[in-house]
Amino acid sequence: MRLDRRTFMAGTAAAGLVGFGKPALAQEKVVKIGMPMDFTRVYTFVTAEYSQGHRDYLTLVNERGGVNGHKIVADITDHANDIPRAIEAYERMKREGAVLIDPLSTPVARALVPRALEDKINMITTLSGRSDAADGTAFPYVMPASPNYWTQAGILIDYFRQQDKDLKGKKIVFVHIDTPFGREPLPILQALAAKLGFTLQTFPYTPPGNDQAAIWPQVRRARPDWVVFWGAGVGQTTALSEAVRNGLPMDRLSSSVWLSESDMEVVGKDAVKGVIKFEACAGGRDPKVIQAILKDVVGKGKGAGPEGKVGTSYYNIGVMMAAIVAEGVRKAFEKAPNGPITGPWLNDGLHAIANFTADGMLPGITVTKEDHQGGGKGRVARWDGGKFVPQTDWFTANQDLVWAEIRKYSAEFKKTGK
Amino acid sequence: MLYRRAGIRHTSYPKERQLWPLPFDRYLVTAVALFLLAAPFLVDRLYLVAYLLPWIIWSMAALGLNLLMGGAGQIHLAYGAVMAIGAYTSVHLVRAGVPFEFALVAAGLMSAAIGMIFGVAALRVKALYLAMSTLAMQYIVDFVISHSPAISGGTQATIQVPPVSFLGIALEGDLPMYYFALAVCVVVTLFMLNVQRTAFGRALAAVREKDYAAEVIGVDTFKYKLLAFWTSSFIGGVVGAVLVVSYLRSVSPDQFHIELSVQIVAMVIVGGLGSVLGSFFGAALILFTPIVLNNLVGALASGLGIAMSADLRAHIPLMLYGAMIVGFLVLEPLGLAKIYDNVRNYFLVWPFRHARR
Repeated sequence: MRLDRRTFMAGTAAAGLVGFGKPALAQEKVVKIGMPMDFTRVYTFVTAEYSQGHRDYLTLVNERGGVNGHKIVADITDHANDIPRAIEAYERMKREGAVLIDPLSTPVARALVPRALEDKINMITTLSGRSDAADGTAFPYVMPASPNYWTQAGILIDYFRQQDKDLKGKKIVFVHIDTPFGREPLPILQALAAKLGFTLQTFPYTPPGNDQAAIWPQVRRARPDWVVFWGAGVGQTTALSEAVRNGLPMDRLSSSVWLSESDMEVVGKDAVKGVIKFEACAGGRDPKVIQAILKDVVGKGKGAGPEGKVGTSYYNIGVMMAAIVAEGVRKAFEKAPNGPITGPWLNDGLHAIANFTADGMLPGITVTKEDHQGGGKGRVARWDGGKFVPQTDWFTANQDLVWAEIRKYSAEFKKTGK
Repeated sequence: MLYRRAGIRHTSYPKERQLWPLPFDRYLVTAVALFLLAAPFLVDRLYLVAYLLPWIIWSMAALGLNLLMGGAGQIHLAYGAVMAIGAYTSVHLVRAGVPFEFALVAAGLMSAAIGMIFGVAALRVKALYLAMSTLAMQYIVDFVISHSPAISGGTQATIQVPPVSFLGIALEGDLPMYYFALAVCVVVTLFMLNVQRTAFGRALAAVREKDYAAEVIGVDTFKYKLLAFWTSSFIGGVVGAVLVVSYLRSVSPDQFHIELSVQIVAMVIVGGLGSVLGSFFGAALILFTPIVLNNLVGALASGLGIAMSADLRAHIPLMLYGAMIVGFLVLEPLGLAKIYDNVRNYFLVWPFRHARR
């Protein structure tokens, strides 16, 4: 068939008509959650691994009969980090009865905060979104349920202090992407520098960070005792390879939670032996939950993605968040077994999560009306060439400074927001 | 047939010069206007807040840029930055206690002032070189906003829009916000429809076709190029304010990056340079095709039970989308407005294929 103007027009118009209306699924006993995420623009492989872990855990729960006889059904779609698309997805999922949204994107989470608060729909902002959402009194429906960037920076610095006994007179270099996300830890680092007496030197690089060649020779010349690099995606691998090129000691190099096995493979597994990162949940395949997924989900051919990705850092973060959501649903059923299944209903459940470890995978998450961070515990892990090996037990540090910062911004939000 | 011209005789100049001389065009416009007015009561809330509202806002932005690109022939790759200036100006003014009516105009004035400064570059450079200098504007504005905590709002870089009211009506809830955006859109659309018929519009057209030829026939290109930037940026600033107040409800720097600028340029080009109707078509196509295709592929995948990885499912719509943009531009380089025009021309002389125009 020849593609002419008329057939092309007719084809696109027909596609448009079909795509506009999406048939509603038959009503079962389900708890619907919405997962509009960025599979295609910025977060790409992070999202793919996160989503795979998330879905595998939900399959595990549902295969075992769900929670209180209800299946947790996730509606997954791509928002490409684009606000109008994300708002469309949010409104569509809300209409279809979703009681929880997990956009896994900082810009999207920021844009959806006013809507989620107004509509009373729980929004999960795993290791993303607004750090001040940890203050549950200002953001009752926004649930980071994971340590925010201020806490991560606080824990890393505390680990350095544990290693060196005293940081007085030491020099810590902070290499970061020059965006609000990259600059976020600065207030905590500055406060800690003043408190502990180390010198803080910062080196911003321009986003997206695929060229950092000018920065790292300066980092080397600064002769730092510790280096913290803060970025996401391509910026992380570039930072690592530049650090290798400039001969910086790998065991003095550290990152936020956004560093994974995939990044290490890009740079060269052995070249970056010794690099430290913050961990919010256990990595690898050892945790019982991951073993159960391997046996009951992946082993039975129901896995959501390639088996090789099971147990990677981002996969496990996905499992962690699905586990937290499932636990919230369980608690909600404990409190009100007959529902109705709404945002506030699940919100009560999420607020009842206490010392939840998902069979030892998590540090013990406790969500309260005040603290949506879940306690702010994490640990430090070191790359041994094949996997990240935990260096510490779960702990938290410098929470006084973190919470001062959280309250400063949440008070601002309360003042201006609705 | 539909757009019948036979038997319609204009007996006065104003009648012939009216915006829509043919009755059918007038009926169509009235029908669309009535539908938009009644939309909150006719369509589901989802389509109101997630389709109609962004469509109206992005169409306004495309209209504003179209004045510059289609009207005066000056390319501008920083329209997102222009909107950012308007958005931040209005939000900060409202937070400082200025009534929103004034903040809205001030947003336009601020964008116009800053936009015109960068428009000065257009006096010296053309085409690709102008594209580069406007691109610089995008990055400079981005940088200034995200590096000034006083503007961006500190490390969280998000400012909530406080509750505002416009002419005594509180802009809260879906209806007031929709009607507010629609009202501004009507004003902008009427301005754009009429500007092409004024001395200003014709001067811009002369500049667009050849600026030194325009100079030869007595058009002050210096003045009109700057005026074009001023007017277009003013509209951009107002649209930025409308965008954050009635749609986004919070403002952060990443909403106005180069992606937004490119998106609006794409709307103008796909819709049709210089066409008012095209701006609406272009905005609809660029905004909603990814969403509709995504839902389509999703529905097909789950409806037919095709096992597809989430990754693939997310990327297929993008491939189709890319193919569609290329398809539209190859088959009708003059844009979507031209496709409508072809249909209209066909019916203008139907059942005959050709007629003297």
